[in-house]
Amino acid sequence: MRYHIIQYIKTYDRLGSLSKQMTAIQTDGLTKQYGSGDGAILALDDLNLTVEDGEVFGFLGPNGAGKSTTINILLDFIDPTAGRAEVLGHDVRTESKAIRARTGVLPEGAEVFERLTAREHIEWMADTKSVSTDPDRLLETVGIADAADRKAGGFSKGMQQRLALGMALVGDPDLLLLDEPSSGLDPTGMREMRELIREQAESGTTVFFSSHILSEVEAVCDRVAILNAGELMIEDTIENLRDSNGGATSIELDVTSVPSDLGLQSVDGVRDVAVSDGTVRAVCSTPTAKVDVVKYVDGRTTVTDIIAEDTSLEELFQRYTGHNPRTESHEETAAEAPEATV
Amino acid sequence: MSTLAIAKRDFLDVRRAKLVWAPVALYTAFMLLFFWGQSTSSEPNFYAVMWSLLGLGGALVVPLIALVAAYLSIAGERESGRIKFTLGAPVDRSSVILGKLLARGGVVLVGLVVSFVIGTAAAQVLVPQMSFEYGDYAVFIAVTLLYALAYVSVAVAISAAAATRSRAMAGGIGFFFLFNIVWNFLPVSPTQMLEFLLNELGRDPANYENLLELVFSISPTGAYLNSTKLFMSDQFLEMVETANSAGDPFYIQGWFMLVILAAWVVVPLALGYWRFGNAQLG
Repeated sequence: MRYHIIQYIKTYDRLGSLSKQMTAIQTDGLTKQYGSGDGAILALDDLNLTVEDGEVFGFLGPNGAGKSTTINILLDFIDPTAGRAEVLGHDVRTESKAIRARTGVLPEGAEVFERLTAREHIEWMADTKSVSTDPDRLLETVGIADAADRKAGGFSKGMQQRLALGMALVGDPDLLLLDEPSSGLDPTGMREMRELIREQAESGTTVFFSSHILSEVEAVCDRVAILNAGELMIEDTIENLRDSNGGATSIELDVTSVPSDLGLQSVDGVRDVAVSDGTVRAVCSTPTAKVDVVKYVDGRTTVTDIIAEDTSLEELFQRYTGHNPRTESHEETAAEAPEATV
Repeated sequence: MSTLAIAKRDFLDVRRAKLVWAPVALYTAFMLLFFWGQSTSSEPNFYAVMWSLLGLGGALVVPLIALVAAYLSIAGERESGRIKFTLGAPVDRSSVILGKLLARGGVVLVGLVVSFVIGTAAAQVLVPQMSFEYGDYAVFIAVTLLYALAYVSVAVAISAAAATRSRAMAGGIGFFFLFNIVWNFLPVSPTQMLEFLLNELGRDPANYENLLELVFSISPTGAYLNSTKLFMSDQFLEMVETANSAGDPFYIQGWFMLVILAAWVVVPLALGYWRFGNAQLG
């Protein structure tokens, strides 16, 4: 008999944890096309995405990749052309209000209400969610407590962004949907934003945020998805992405002049080369290849400085999106190279 | 619930916009002018003041007050992206429209009531010898508020249907021009066109007086101007030759003008919701 009870408790426990392991966001073949015929633009192409309850999910991609389109569909601002999506177990098109009741939203680049005070913004959001809130404490959390009774029209972009985040946090939502949360923030603000996201995640909130800044996503996310031109390129944990990329590293050399026939690609272990005015940048598959790169380049021109770093994810991001946040792409610089020698 | 949350926030927001109050000040100024005008007359006539307010307010100032207060109510939020704050909250799109109507309508009604209070108080000083007909005055104020509400509803609906500020403005001006200036004041009005058509068909327009009167009253301004039977004295109406006979069909009687105005509150909102409910807010 005692055995049965233990079995029962165990089963019950498993069921409990199963229900906690609910899916926060699930999209199924989500597609959005603007226009039709030849002029049609496919903003989102058959997106299948799963965000588990309680995780911090980074939605990464260059501007125009379809990140905002996805968020707009999740919030029922726009209708998908095909496919469906569920948020917190509710269909986005038929039960949007139930979703928004449990979600905190930070819209992209939205202006706040200029004639309302920060406190009135927070109170309004609490009003719509039928929750009671402490505006002062919330504004303290996002770092603008001293501006509580000032009209938001006079706020800087960074303060507006903080206020918007404060509004998103009203009512302790189960899910935070943050569209480019760090836009308009200075480095301190960005760091505080990351800390806030971590705190929220620790309290069990699922955080889904979009960004075109790799380092930001890398710093706080459990998992990321990389989106490019409406297509999902990859969806995985940060660790797996690093491993799958074979620990590639890169090296950057400042040189006095770049020989037009450098031919650095021929060096063993060099995967990618970018040349711009006065700098040579190589992505290597093994750390030892970096030494070979330095020797090779030093034999052909004068090296004035060496910068080496682990940029595995950066390269990955570049490979999937064709955008490198640090240097221009290889093809572009190759075309410019002759000018540099003139 | 969410309608009231929207209305409360929007009222708080828009009452702080100075531009909204400018046309109200204009209405008050004209009211004072009309009262002062009667003070120079040997026999001040209260109905003459209402008549002037009806004409100027109906044709120009009341629509101006309502359109200025409400034409950006939703389109402005869409253009700036603030609509994503509004609809990121658990709020229905219908609540946005109704909430905006309550807030903007509230601001306009408060403005007009303040205007009437100031005007009436000033009249006691300007023309103490004039006798106020408070019963008729109250009816006139009520009808004016309904007329203003109809215009606010039109403006909110246009704003709900427009994606940008400029389109909302074009829509507001277009409505004012078509359903006010053209419909009721220009020689190309539907009434005149109908008369022309009847003449062409060999009918005598005089036999269709009631129908023509109804066509004139279809616009909110026409209904407002034809609501005079509800609050003007028969004596005054005879003087300005718009007296009605007892045998008029129901659709040109005073009370039916209120039905038309009420329809101008409801129908535009329904159309606005039909557009806004499906709008892509990308």
